[in-house]
Amino acid sequence: MSGFTKSLYIWAAALMLAPLPAQAAGDLLVAPTRVVLDGARGTEVILNNVGAEPATYRISLELRRMTTDGKLDEVTKEEANALEQAALSMIRYAPRRITLAPNQPQAIRIGVRPPEGLADGEYRAHMLFRAIPKARPVAPQAGEAQGLSIALTPIYGVTIPVIIRKGQLQASAAIANGRVVTDQYGAAFAFDLSRRGDKSTYGEIRVTKPGLDEPLLVARGIAVYAEVDARAVKLPVPPEIARQLTGPVKIEYFEASSAGGGLIASVQTVLK
Amino acid sequence: MFNKAKFLTAGSAVLAAALVSTSANAATANADARATILEQITVTKTSDLDFGTVVVGATGGNVALSSADGSVSCDAALVCSGTTTAAAFDVTGTAGETVDITVDPSVNLVSGGNSMTASLSGSDASLVLAGGDSFTVGGTLAVAANQAAGDYVGNFDVTVEYQ
Repeated sequence: MSGFTKSLYIWAAALMLAPLPAQAAGDLLVAPTRVVLDGARGTEVILNNVGAEPATYRISLELRRMTTDGKLDEVTKEEANALEQAALSMIRYAPRRITLAPNQPQAIRIGVRPPEGLADGEYRAHMLFRAIPKARPVAPQAGEAQGLSIALTPIYGVTIPVIIRKGQLQASAAIANGRVVTDQYGAAFAFDLSRRGDKSTYGEIRVTKPGLDEPLLVARGIAVYAEVDARAVKLPVPPEIARQLTGPVKIEYFEASSAGGGLIASVQTVLK
Repeated sequence: MFNKAKFLTAGSAVLAAALVSTSANAATANADARATILEQITVTKTSDLDFGTVVVGATGGNVALSSADGSVSCDAALVCSGTTTAAAFDVTGTAGETVDITVDPSVNLVSGGNSMTASLSGSDASLVLAGGDSFTVGGTLAVAANQAAGDYVGNFDVTVEYQ
């Protein structure tokens, strides 16, 4: 038996805080939500079945490419470029399929085996955690002679980035063109975030207005990946915040606190 | 073993995982204990996407299910009945964390040798988590003239993505 399976996890806080009503098979908890590896040492990610029934989960490595509007586009293994293929081939993880009873956590071990002479740079894949849906009964129901009955099953999951860095990598960023926009999803605060260097930037956006103690808007987990030089960031805001986003504001981009929390970029601007 | 493992994130997270090392002589009082705070994400489904029951005539039509409130607008050529719901999901995680939501643009529904297609749309493309967050998925079902009766089933992917 391995050291991992022998070890005991205590989930006091997580279990008490997990929302309990209306649970369905396939509900899941994943922690942490981002993995950065910069050495031979691996890590692990916790997957917990927070549903009410046993569920089988599949864990896979996927590729995503950031677009200039900040979306993560799916990339098939056939379309993968050299950097993406290198990421897929050096990330080791297990298990890849696991059946969990309700509230049973499982550690997914992640390791890196960089090939000899790997070039300096940032390599990335996205780990997808998703429940395999149970087979539906095939027997048609009686009645509904002329009707169509429709059963659509969502297969839902979570992806988190797994990033491998080798060598001394640098990046800087700049913010421009802050604006309030409205799209089909409602009001949003948008701006352009540009990046230079050989790695991604990642951190927290804070929008503050002179005279107000609290930031109007805080959004963590904003990345500009190395495949794009600039992206638009569009953050949904409630109408009452959108109304306050006028006049002079300061937009700041900080590193995540776990990475030092330093200021990456900052701009003072006047919103229309 | 575990004392080599190092977790990356600390901060105002909700999840506390305490790791207690056990060994062959676990009865002794001498055990390592560590606590690590991890950022976590929980996704729970609270409702399925349900177009209800549709009765077809000689002409086809569309059944549009709003992602906003699960209400249905049914073309005059069709008769729609039964309860309809948009698919709905709750997302919990660290406050202020940004997640993107991707939904398959369409889904193929199959009943034996018959099929039809529904386009899908989510209520949100991204969320900045503030506690009690959720999103829904609705869509438009295209029903052909004389679409064969039956129980149509289909799967579609919904993914909550961290950048």
